[in-house]
Amino acid sequence: MPSLGYVVRRVLQMVPTLVFILVVTFVLVRLLPGDPLSAIAGDRVTDAQVAQARAAYGLDEPLLTQFLIYVRHVATGDLGRSIVVQAPVRNLVTERLPPTLMLTAMSVLIGVGLAVPLAFASALRRGRAADFAIRAGAQISLSMPVFYIGLVLLTVFAAQLRWFPVGGYGDDWGERAYHLFLPAVTLGVSLAAILMRNLRAAIIEVLGAEYVDFARAKGLATRVVLLRHVLRNALISTLALLGPTVGALLGGAVITESVFAIPGIGRLMIESIYGRDYPVIQGLTLILALLVSLAFLVTDLIQAALDPRVAR
Amino acid sequence: MSGTQAVRALRLPRIPLTLAAGIAILLVALVLAAVPQLVAPYSPTAFDYKAILKGPSLAHPFGTDNFGRDILSRTIWAYRVDLQIALFGTIFAAVFGTLVGAVVGYVGGWAEIVFGRVVDMIVTFPFLVLVIAIVAVLGPGLLNLYIAVSAVGWIYYARIVAAGVAVQRRLDYAAAARVLGYSTPRIVLRHLLPNVVSAALVFWMTDMALCILLGSSLGYLGLGAQPPAAEWGVLIADGKNYMSTAWWISIFPGLAIVTTGLGFSLLGDGLADLLRPRR
Repeated sequence: MPSLGYVVRRVLQMVPTLVFILVVTFVLVRLLPGDPLSAIAGDRVTDAQVAQARAAYGLDEPLLTQFLIYVRHVATGDLGRSIVVQAPVRNLVTERLPPTLMLTAMSVLIGVGLAVPLAFASALRRGRAADFAIRAGAQISLSMPVFYIGLVLLTVFAAQLRWFPVGGYGDDWGERAYHLFLPAVTLGVSLAAILMRNLRAAIIEVLGAEYVDFARAKGLATRVVLLRHVLRNALISTLALLGPTVGALLGGAVITESVFAIPGIGRLMIESIYGRDYPVIQGLTLILALLVSLAFLVTDLIQAALDPRVAR
Repeated sequence: MSGTQAVRALRLPRIPLTLAAGIAILLVALVLAAVPQLVAPYSPTAFDYKAILKGPSLAHPFGTDNFGRDILSRTIWAYRVDLQIALFGTIFAAVFGTLVGAVVGYVGGWAEIVFGRVVDMIVTFPFLVLVIAIVAVLGPGLLNLYIAVSAVGWIYYARIVAAGVAVQRRLDYAAAARVLGYSTPRIVLRHLLPNVVSAALVFWMTDMALCILLGSSLGYLGLGAQPPAAEWGVLIADGKNYMSTAWWISIFPGLAIVTTGLGFSLLGDGLADLLRPRR
């Protein structure tokens, strides 16, 4: 386990990041032309509502005071009210978060599940046809927009072959996994390409290490050497990608959820943009950024636990 | 320049295959973007109600859409828009980020520490979400897309250049330039930066590919280029409801994205091979 000192230091490092996220989301709604009030409360409001909102958000106060009021609201879990749905943003987020989280988790599983065997196949046959084919495939999938992959999978496997539903979300876990499978493959394919490239390079590097020669010289079976020594050490360097990866996946979820009509926060984001529902856009940006910085934190802590050199 | 050096300079470097392929793809793309009216068989916006939702044929190699518009012509005209997205979506970030990185790397010390913190803060922000949020507030359209991408993208160039300049400024030739009394801007711009800029150049190629993906994604969502402008993401969105019956409307513009993205990636990889210092 990483030392307590490292954990504390790493958590403290999040403070400027959190301040930055709060500043960006605060400034965001104030970038709109006109009175920020119309962004926060909408245009169709009574005079009484205007006065109430002005007081609640301190809109007549200096900007710094407004910011502190915003921070206090966020700290108490108050993310504002949706203009369109007339409900607290917090409720909308908690309602729509589970599909997105499940989609992200499934994408990571599929991405890793594809990347590990392909990286091994590629690294162990370096310079040969299989290696070339796998790397070309990765390069092509990296050049494909997520919505395009999704649209093709949707048409072939849902609309034509009818193996999977065309979109939506289920009522129980099995049905949900079934509904989210194609979207998760969509995101997982792009993820696998990135992971595969790094893992392949790491495996090739580890294969040249002395401890691998030693393990072989000890007479360990190739499979044992590959799994226990090579994969384990190669995965540590690839783990560093987890934080940025979750960021990319949550961004990709915004698009994938739109393609597959999944009621997650990505689709909520797009709906809110169409509906000019700025409090929701602000709240979602905040939540997504928080999730990603959390992923960065977890990545660093896991890495420190696996590799003590990181925590120094 | 000594005799052997002159000979070595004259001999062309062996061009890697990836680089050649990348250059070829992008040259074709540039021609299509420059003179679409000479290459495209039809007008990209002309309706033809006698040829609605027709599959690929000799008259319409990529088929037609629900207004009878020629998909090949629309895909060709879109090169202009999407290459423009690749250029304007990255150039400001590349130039500004390189300059910031050069200053940070040369000054070092506190500037490096502050910059490192800024990088940590910005990279934790999910790029796409931030861009979408900025576009949502500023309004859909290409100009706002450029503003959003540039506001975030410069940090990656600055990070690459700062790291490189920090290494270069400690080398002997930098010390020699200082001893000669050259001004700081001259040392940084004329002496240090040229040794660092190749890394930024390679990243720029990848960045342009990513920018096309981003631009077409926003176009697909209705937040980027606005119809009737022919943009690949918009074209794909046009055909999404016809995927089962008229797949060609969406599939061919998508292939244009893939090949152009590959072109930039190959060019970037090839440049990286070419510019890697030989030992």
